[in-house]
This record gives sequence, C-alpha cells and structure tokens, in this order.
Amino acid sequence: MITIAIAKGRMQDDALALLARAGVCLDEDARNSRRLAIADESGQYRFIFVKPADVPVYVEHGIADCGVVGRDVLLESQADLLLPLDLGIARCRMVVAAPDAEIMTRSLGMLRVATKYSQIAAAHFGARGIPVEIIQLSGSVELAPALGLADLIVDLVETGRTLRENGLIVVEEIAQSTGRLVVNRASYQLKSEPITLLVKALEAAVNGAERA
Amino acid sequence: MRYYIGAEARLRRTIEDTAMSVFVAWSYEEVITPSVDYYDLFEQGMGQAEAQRGFRFTDNDGRLLALRPDVTSSVARMAATLLSERARPLRFCYAAPVFRQQPASHAEWRRENTQLGCELIGVNGHTADLEVLRLAAEILARLDLDSSYCMTINNVEIFNGIAAHLKLEERAREELRRLIDTRETAELQRFLRSFSDDEARTFLQPTQLTGKREVIQAARALITNRRSLAALDSLEQLWSALEAHDLAEHFEIDLSDVSSLDYYTGLSLKVFVHGAGTSVGRGGRYDGLTGSFGRAEPAVGFVLNLDALTEVLARRMTEA
Repeated sequence: MITIAIAKGRMQDDALALLARAGVCLDEDARNSRRLAIADESGQYRFIFVKPADVPVYVEHGIADCGVVGRDVLLESQADLLLPLDLGIARCRMVVAAPDAEIMTRSLGMLRVATKYSQIAAAHFGARGIPVEIIQLSGSVELAPALGLADLIVDLVETGRTLRENGLIVVEEIAQSTGRLVVNRASYQLKSEPITLLVKALEAAVNGAERA
Repeated sequence: MRYYIGAEARLRRTIEDTAMSVFVAWSYEEVITPSVDYYDLFEQGMGQAEAQRGFRFTDNDGRLLALRPDVTSSVARMAATLLSERARPLRFCYAAPVFRQQPASHAEWRRENTQLGCELIGVNGHTADLEVLRLAAEILARLDLDSSYCMTINNVEIFNGIAAHLKLEERAREELRRLIDTRETAELQRFLRSFSDDEARTFLQPTQLTGKREVIQAARALITNRRSLAALDSLEQLWSALEAHDLAEHFEIDLSDVSSLDYYTGLSLKVFVHGAGTSVGRGGRYDGLTGSFGRAEPAVGFVLNLDALTEVLARRMTEA
C-alpha cells in the first residue's frame, strides 16, 4: 500500500481532484468524514491529511511514501526529498511586500522582516548581503508593517487582494510556487513499481488538465 | 541521544558481531581510530561541506579538534602514512560511532550513529568493487534481510563525463546535479533547453534512470563522450558480475544517484531496507582520498548504519 500525505487547506481539493483524474479516488463519505487517514476505493492507497508544513516531515521519515504540498513549504523545510512532478495546482507567488517601493533603497541599516517563512526570507536577503532582522509570525503577517512591527513582509500571495487592503504593494518576487508531488527516497527504490505508476498517471492527468 | 536497554542492546550487539564476523571472514582486519582528532584531517578527507557538520572544539594550544564525523578519513591517512610500506591491498573494517550535527526535524536526526564499515585500499577495477558489494550483500543476508533490501549502484563518472562535455561552469554543474538528484524532471528540461547537445537527455527519462541492465543500454543510445562511456562499460561489467553471482535481484542501477560527486570517483552505492525511511548504508570508490594524505591509490568501501538496522530488526521482532 502507498501512503500519500496531502496538505490540508488551500491545496486539498485541487490535489484530490487531480488524483481522481489519475484514477485514485476517494468516495464521497470518506471525503466528508473527519478521519485523518482514509484508504481509497481500490485499497491500494492510503491518504493522510496533515498541515502543509508537516507533509515534508511525514514523507522524509518514510511514514508517507509520497505527498502533495506547495513549493513554498518545501523551500522553507529544506527536507531531503525527490520532487518528480510539478502538479501546477494552487499557483501563487512568494513575494517581498512593503507599504512603499522605496523601502528597500532607503538606508535603514537594518530592515525588519515579518514572515511565516523565516528560512526563505533569511536566504533571500542573505544572498544579496542585505542585513535583516527576521520576525517570525504564524499568521496575519500583513498587519505587521501597518502596526510598526516590521518594515516589510515576506509572504505568499495568490490574488494580492489581502496585500492591497492592508496598504501593501509587492516589491519583489522571490519564487513561484505550485503544488508538487514529493516522494520519499527509500520508497522510490523499495516500492518503485507502484510509485512509478502513480507518477505516470498523475503526469498524464496534469498534462490533460493543461490542454483542456 | 539514545539508550539501548536489555533485549535491544543484545540485538544491536548481535548485528555488530554478525557484520564484523563477515568482514573478518573476508580477511578484513579491524581498526580502531581515535574518536577525537584534528579537524584538518576530516576536512582533507571529507571535504569542507561535510566536515563542517562535525562537532568542533579547540585544544589548549588553540588548534581545532573534531569529534570524528567519519572513520574513512582516519583509515585513509593511516594507509598513506603509518602503513605506506605495507604490501597492498589493505583490507580494514570497523564498528565505530561517528558524530554529526543534523538539521532540526531532519529524518536522519541523530547526532551519533555507529558505522559498520570496511575499506579496500590499493586495488582498482570491478573485482574490488564487486568484493565490497558481495560483502555488503552477505551481511544483509546473514541479518535475515535477504528479501527486504535493495542496493542501488551508479558510476559517478557518467554524470561527470556529461557535465565536462557540456563545459558547465561550477554553478551550472551543481544546479544540474541537484535537479537530477531530486528528479525535478520539468525543471531539468527547462535547464537543458539552452544546450543543443543531446547527451544530457539521458537524465530526462526518469523511468529509464533506475532499473536493471536495460538502464545501461538506454543510456548508451544517447551518450557519446568517452569518459561517460568508459564509466558505462565498467558499470556493465560490474552488473554482469553481480548476475553471475546471482545477486542481480537485490541490485538496481540508479543513474540519478549523484548526491556525493565531490567524494566518489567511480562506483557509488546506497542501501535501502523495507521499514527504514532513509538509506541505511552507503559507499563507493574514492580514489582521490588517499592522495590528499600524500599517497594516491585506489580505494573502495562502504558503511552500514548500525542504529538504523537495529531499529528495523527490533520492530520486526516485536511485530513477529
């Protein structure tokens, strides 16, 4: 049996729809239930639903063989995983946002950056030699500049509406993020047949979706 | 930080004894190397990136010391210096804890792991490679893991030949290596679009990267540079030898195993066992290593992770 970890929330419905097109279906009852581990109709797959940041953890430890999770989460976790497929779902951008565009060039000596993604933020500014103080938050990051907690933020944007409504504009784009299929290194060798089949079926489903 | 108590400690001891008895039966001599040595030794032996994961501290004269992050560096230096006069080949084995800093929440999170390892120094070619592969296979079989392990083998010169042929500068070479290692096929395709050359297309077919002998044939159809072809030849020879010893069912060729290119110079291998989420052993050929201690000669070896094997076998005992 192959265990697939799915990131709960934003990506969950798109991920399940894509898997269904690849022939891995959950029935209605299972989808509506509150159980966190469910087998699919064929009994070949088991789904577990966990917080996005936990998907790389489950997969790296081999508790789940594969997972579906955003590239943003993977960049932040730096887990050692195989990333065979870009699923093209839940597309969004990781950006630097601030109240005004000049903030980066104004000499501040030290920029304060509020973010949920401290690794990504530190790597982004570190690579360019810009000294920053990272302030780790766990949500509503857009509030930080308005209240004076930080000069700018690093966050994920989909439509940009939340940014606009909180008086922020995108200053820089750090990376594009989409949902990825991730695979445990040991599972890839030890269960190579079923996993190769799954990757191929998903690849066909993704390509089909792009053409449609 | 891990305690082994009672039955678990006995199991761990049995596994260690089993491995050591196989090594000794193949005429490998046990060595015990210092747990604390100068940091320079490990930097020369493992390269800076890996050695920096060791725990470092200073001696009272200010020189930098390290708690050994591997045993191979010490054995290589010993062979090149203390034993430079001794007749080749040299065969050494050890069971020793190594210490590395690990990223938080990483699957291989333990700071301390005991390596069961061996080094065969002073012989080149696929007979020496075959010897260590057979040794590893025998240990796993004696541990009753015969039906549940898989060893992947590769020759890193296949990648090196292609990278040299594409005339990649250091950063692009590392990017190519990373994309192959993590199997990011779509990104790899984008990366290779700027090269008119066909050879690197070898790595674009993920399903043709891992498998049995057909992997070599598929690669041969695309590769033309001499360096990679020589590596393919030697990999194929090794594969035929594995078949002749009835071991092919336990082995897979994995051309995408390019995780430690700066260290290995030919064969690279990884060991996977059902029930363990990460590899439980690794090894390969590192002909460049003893040279950094003043006497260049071929060398090949591998390590198995005693703690990971104990965990798999302990779980199996409680499930049975």
